[in-house]
Formats: sequence, structure tokens, C-alpha cells
Amino acid sequence: MKKISIYRPTSIEEAIQVLSLHGTEAGVYAGGTDLLIRLKNRLKQAPTYLVDIKKINNLRYIKEDAQGGVQIGALTKIAELAESELLAKKYPMLVEAVRMISSPELRNASTLGGDILQEVWCQYLRGGYACWRNGGYICYGAIGDNSYYHSAMGGRLCYAVYPGDAATALIPYNAKVKLATPFGMKELTVEQLVPGDMMVDGRIQSHVVRFNEILTEVVIPPPKPGLRASFEKLRPRGVWDFAMASLAITLQLRDKTIEDARVVFGGISGKPLRETAVENFLKGKTLSTDLANQAVPVALTNAAPLKYNATKIDMAKGLLVSGLVRLNAAA
Amino acid sequence: MQLIEGILFEPVGCLAEFPSEEFNEIAVRLFDRRKKASKSASRSFWHLLNLIEYSHRNLDTSEKAFAESLELQAVDGAHLYEDVVPALSELKAMGIKLLIASSLSDTAVTHFLEKFSLKDFFSEVWTRDNASGIKVVPLVKAIINASFKPEHVMFLTDTAEGLKVAKEVGVNSILMINDPDEARKLAMDDPAGGIVSLHELPDFIRLVVAENARLPRL
Repeated sequence: MKKISIYRPTSIEEAIQVLSLHGTEAGVYAGGTDLLIRLKNRLKQAPTYLVDIKKINNLRYIKEDAQGGVQIGALTKIAELAESELLAKKYPMLVEAVRMISSPELRNASTLGGDILQEVWCQYLRGGYACWRNGGYICYGAIGDNSYYHSAMGGRLCYAVYPGDAATALIPYNAKVKLATPFGMKELTVEQLVPGDMMVDGRIQSHVVRFNEILTEVVIPPPKPGLRASFEKLRPRGVWDFAMASLAITLQLRDKTIEDARVVFGGISGKPLRETAVENFLKGKTLSTDLANQAVPVALTNAAPLKYNATKIDMAKGLLVSGLVRLNAAA
Repeated sequence: MQLIEGILFEPVGCLAEFPSEEFNEIAVRLFDRRKKASKSASRSFWHLLNLIEYSHRNLDTSEKAFAESLELQAVDGAHLYEDVVPALSELKAMGIKLLIASSLSDTAVTHFLEKFSLKDFFSEVWTRDNASGIKVVPLVKAIINASFKPEHVMFLTDTAEGLKVAKEVGVNSILMINDPDEARKLAMDDPAGGIVSLHELPDFIRLVVAENARLPRL
């Protein structure tokens, strides 16, 4: 492993100063379940200067705000989200999703911020290949085994899928995030935060957080009465793996009429993929068992699978059916 | 990778899907090729170029005419990749010089550019006729005439021979991943980079620019 230096700032301002000092050579260190593995695997792109933000107060909480929404500190552990009664009461689909993240051990260590901003888990990147995200100029996933962790919806240089579950589940709730920057706080929706392969500061990454910015908080607006939600995830193994395909769906119902819908697929694209064609199709329809099958032809019509991953699209469409059937049964 | 100023294109396999039969036919008729013909036009084309090179002979007038007529037929049967026009437009708007450096004949290249209305994208067109040679020769002529340093130039190819030629000239060899299985083998030849689609080229060049201007430490 390369030599690293660790800073332990005690305030956000101090952390941002250190990040600004070292440019793209520095990285935020929180739970470490992604970052330390990149270092251990000797990835060229792993930072040399770790800015450990665990000593910063007030970044680890789950609290209800005055409007009935919930604020979650970025350092909150995934296990704490999974066990939160407040979240289970207000956003049960989010809790369902985070319980499917990784293993209990890793959920105890990893943080919400880390889950949202984690690096992709392409086996070629993690194996140290010189790909687009690791100092090279080629995507080995596009020419090698792309059956599990690569996009079936096209790509932009890198074809790895966005691996996080929390962002996929937060988008249907219209969640927002706060970023601390050298110029003050910045607010984005989660959808804006992880738009897929982006060139930021001369690097390809799934999110738009710059080298000297820190994700501090996730804010979820209060759920409206009549909101129904479902999260499902298909993995190569039953437990402890990333999604081959996942689906987070919310329906705003009046009786059985769908007033609004959010449909977000995970594990099939370089970002949590909002399928607005299906959302528009569902709006105004009556929720029924037939509706699920009617929605399938509308879904993912612009799929562009690689050589070995067309099955991901079938999986995603299957999840759309089972999600809608499940919501119909619960309504 | 250093900043990119120009990109060299060989139409076969990089701008369009050509049929392979015509190149195989030239190889059989003029060079008595007996090996099983490849279904890949690029491989057939580059194999033909090798045969021309290794034969150490100049084609006579009737042989040239025969080769040209089949090349024209190949152009007629070619299908332009759908991402070519948007990618070339974007690259041109970015100020990247686009050049044809082809081992096809003048007639075939001219017909190709006219057929697909691509002429205006390219600042220079080098062929085996005006460059007086094949393989490395059109590339070298293009680079010298445009006053490029080879390290500031990309050459797109989807064959091992193309990669070899790019390395000989010293330009950045960019693997076109047209066939993932073939590309997997070619990746072992250590190309400077690889793209799945031409629409990625502008991003590729922007990334190189961003890397070269990597954030100054404050």
C-alpha cells in the first residue's frame, strides 16, 4: 500500500481547507469501507491524503424537522438507518433498501454519505486495471465480463454501474443533500448529486462532488398521505452483494388512482436511473394487477446492453412487475 | 496522454461498416491468397495491405484499376456508423483537426466522403495515391503536412495491424471496440486507449485536457 497521510480535522471548515490544500490527491475518509479497500488494492486513483471527518461533531444524527421531514447526518451509519424507528415509520422503503446493503459488519462501519458517493465496484477497476477511473483510457468492462457490474443502458467512457442502494431509494422520496463547499452550503437533489459518469476535476466519477466539497446532510421531505413505496433488489448471491438490478418505486395514491409516481432502477446504469416514461404512463391510471404487465413495454426502451448483460434488462422489467403487484396487494 | 490536436481516420472500420468480400477478392485475384477469408472487413483490408507490402511489387495499371473498382464497390456497400456525424461535428467545434489517413485509393476515399457527405469535416485527405504508399505512409504524410507532433495525434483502429502502424508512427493508437471479443485480444497489444463508440471521443479529449490541467494545489 502506498504511503498515506491522515488529517483529523475537527470542523467542516478545517476539513475543506485541507482538501483544498491537496487538491485531487486528498479524499474524505469516513466509514472507510470503500476508500480503504481502494488503498489496499493499490489503485492509482486512491488518495494519498486522507481527511478523516469522523471527529467532526454533528454529522451523525437522524432527526425529524419542523415540517415533518427527516434530516440525516452524512456520517450516520447504514446500520443506524436500518434500525431507525423514525425512518421505518415515515420512509419504510428506505429502511427496506438499506437493510439489503452489504453485510451487518459493513453496515456497522459504512456511512450514508459514503454509500451515496462510493466508487464503482467494477472488478477491473478494483483489480487495479488502468481503466478510465484509474489512470487509463479504456473500459475493460466493455470488452471483458460485464454480466454483473456493468451498464445495460449505455455509458460514457466508463461502463460500470452505479452501485449504491441508498441513493436509488432516496430519489423517489425527492430527497435533497447539503454539501459544504469553500463558498458556503450548496443544496442539490439526490438525483442531481449522482447523475452518472461525470468529468469532475479531471476525473471520472458518478457524482458531482468536487475535490474540496463535503456531503454533510440528507434531507427527506415529509411523506404525503397515500404514498406507497416498494424496494426490491436482485443480487448474484442472496446476500452481501451489489444489485444486478433493483427498483425503488413510490406511488402517490388517491384510493387506487395513481396521482404521481417515481420509478428508479438501480444496478443497470451508471446512475440511479429514473424511468420517466413509466412514471408518465402510470400517472392517472388505476392501480391493478393488470397495470404491471401494461407498464413493462413502456420501460427501458432505450436499453443498450453489453455483450453479456442483456439479462439485467429482463431482471429490471421483472422487478417493475413485482413492485407494482406488491403495491397493488398492499393498497 | 498529451493534449490532442488532431485525429487520423482510416474509413474502413472506424467510420463505417464495410463489406469484407471485395477486399478478400482483391487478395485472391492479385495476390493468390489461399487462406480462409475473414468476415471482418477491417481484418481483410489490413491483411490485403500486408500482402501488398510484402509482395514488394507495384501493381500494374490493370491491377490498380481492378483493385479500385472493387474498393468502389466496397464503399457502395458500406454503412456509416450512426454516431459518426454528431461526433465529428462536436470534435470540429472543439477545434480538433480531423484528417483522413487511408490506405484506400483516392477514388474510393473521394467516393466515400461524397456518398456520406463527410468531406467538410476533414481538413486534409491522405490516401495511398497522394501519399504514395500504404499503412504508415498516409499517416506520416498527414502528420508532417499538418505540422503535428505524433504524441498530439490519435489514430483510430480496430485491428492489430492498425495498432502496430500507429505505434510505428508514434501516434496514440485508439482501439475502436467494434467487436468486444476481438477488442479483448487487441487490448493485450497495449493501445493508448479504447472507445466503444465515436460519441465518446469528444469526452476522451476533454478528459485529457482536464488531466493536463489537473487542479493546481492551492
